[in-house]
Amino acid sequence: MEKQVAVVAQAQTRHAADIGMPKERMLFELVKGLFDDLGITRDDIGTFVICSNDFQAGRTISNVFEDTPIGAYMKDETKVEADGLWAAMYAAMRIMSGNYDTALVVANSLGGSEFRPYLVMDYQLNPTYDRQLGLLNELSTAALQARSYMDRYGMTETQMDRIAAKLLRNAARNPYALQSKADATPEDIAASEYLYEPLRKLHCYPFTDGACAVLLASADRAKELTDSPVWIKGMSSSIDSYYLGERELFGSRSSRLAAERAYKMAGIKQPADQIDVAEVSAPFVHQEPIITEALGLFPEGSGGSVAERGLSEIDGAMPVCPSGGATGAHPFSAAGLIRIAECYRQLTGQAGEAQVADASTAVAHGQDGFCAQHNAVMVLSSEEG
Amino acid sequence: MTAKQERVVAHSVVPIDFTYNYRVGTYLEKYIQGLGQKKILGMKCSGCGKVVVPPRKICGMCNLTMEEWVELADVGTVENYTVGHVRVDKGLLEKSDPPVMLALIKLDGADALLAGEVRGLKPEELKNGLRVKAVWKDPAEDSLADLDHFEPAGKGG
Repeated sequence: MEKQVAVVAQAQTRHAADIGMPKERMLFELVKGLFDDLGITRDDIGTFVICSNDFQAGRTISNVFEDTPIGAYMKDETKVEADGLWAAMYAAMRIMSGNYDTALVVANSLGGSEFRPYLVMDYQLNPTYDRQLGLLNELSTAALQARSYMDRYGMTETQMDRIAAKLLRNAARNPYALQSKADATPEDIAASEYLYEPLRKLHCYPFTDGACAVLLASADRAKELTDSPVWIKGMSSSIDSYYLGERELFGSRSSRLAAERAYKMAGIKQPADQIDVAEVSAPFVHQEPIITEALGLFPEGSGGSVAERGLSEIDGAMPVCPSGGATGAHPFSAAGLIRIAECYRQLTGQAGEAQVADASTAVAHGQDGFCAQHNAVMVLSSEEG
Repeated sequence: MTAKQERVVAHSVVPIDFTYNYRVGTYLEKYIQGLGQKKILGMKCSGCGKVVVPPRKICGMCNLTMEEWVELADVGTVENYTVGHVRVDKGLLEKSDPPVMLALIKLDGADALLAGEVRGLKPEELKNGLRVKAVWKDPAEDSLADLDHFEPAGKGG
């Protein structure tokens, strides 16, 4: 990108089924903590970009009670819906405009304790048709997508269980995760009950309360704020058809197109060779192969064998979601921003027990909509230029 | 000291009841009227030639308005399916016993798949490639519910 933008800090809540405090306090403590760690105040922030959602908050202008706790009161402030990865893209563009040197992105939702995630998703359905019929919902559509991939490429339920078990194990190495199991096996997953076949409970994201904040800065300001900035190298988003019956659910065209554009900006020609770690938003585990293949990290249809061979494990050839991904925690709106935050932790060597060795380039992915209709991709690197 | 215990008020439960009055649009209106006559109507795009159902005005890929109505068969093939052991009712999971069978069905003459409930067979009998036919509500209500569900087409389907 012509004008460089870097991630200079991240903060996350310890995601929970019930965070046990009002949203305002959660956000204040999160952002105040980030400011204190960096030794800055809200005066150091040029622009604030919030990602939250009116339906998730149960009130219009969801940010109306969020801007004050994050320090945005009377500052330059705006809100993005969809997902936090889009908010980060927007924030980066505001810095690239030359008008701001810093942008704080804050995303949150309380899907564990405050609202019902499946109900909010029902309100994404076409109101005059699908919502009238009552056949489709977030789970049934995800199940159809899982079946589509499994039928086309021969991935078995046991192989899908392996993906879920990997994510639960990875989440045990992530201090922010809500759901984890250090010794999870495919048998643990197979023991959870079917919701919509082939999806079992442990193939699906846990309802989560949580928030994430990411601070972006221009090149000069980034170097003042940290010794280890992580540079945004490329970004793009794309949207597929709403109509499931017209989509090839076994793949993700919009993820592929977004990735191609982001890689072009980043100078990535061989993603599987040039990317060291991926954090993708896959609220249902079968989406991990669909999205990582669309991102060019694995050959098309290889999800079953990737799982068998452990290629996406933390010490595998292409680690995917060392954080545990959405299986570990999945606060709506914050999910995609957390993927950026996790890439930042990886690329600055701060990922602790989940650290991928020698990671210098990462890809973060965010999504929104049924069966990942809308997808965004960001390429990040510890190397400037 | 008062004998009265301090009451803990941790949550405030606030329901929201919004009612919207969406205009259905002439395309879906005609589709619903067709269902009342046991007809399933789709639209053919003059650009890509694909037939979509339910009908709508704009082909996203071609960025064209679709104007050619096509009557589809009420018989088709299961191309994707799921057996639901739960239902989602106002965002809450409830057990579904018996399980609900949901399929994406390619009606003869269509390119897009139509979501429909399948009844009249055991969950383990629901498979891709199964031929199914529409079961209509009688008398018709002139609503989307007129196409009630699908069942195995049987011989000659």
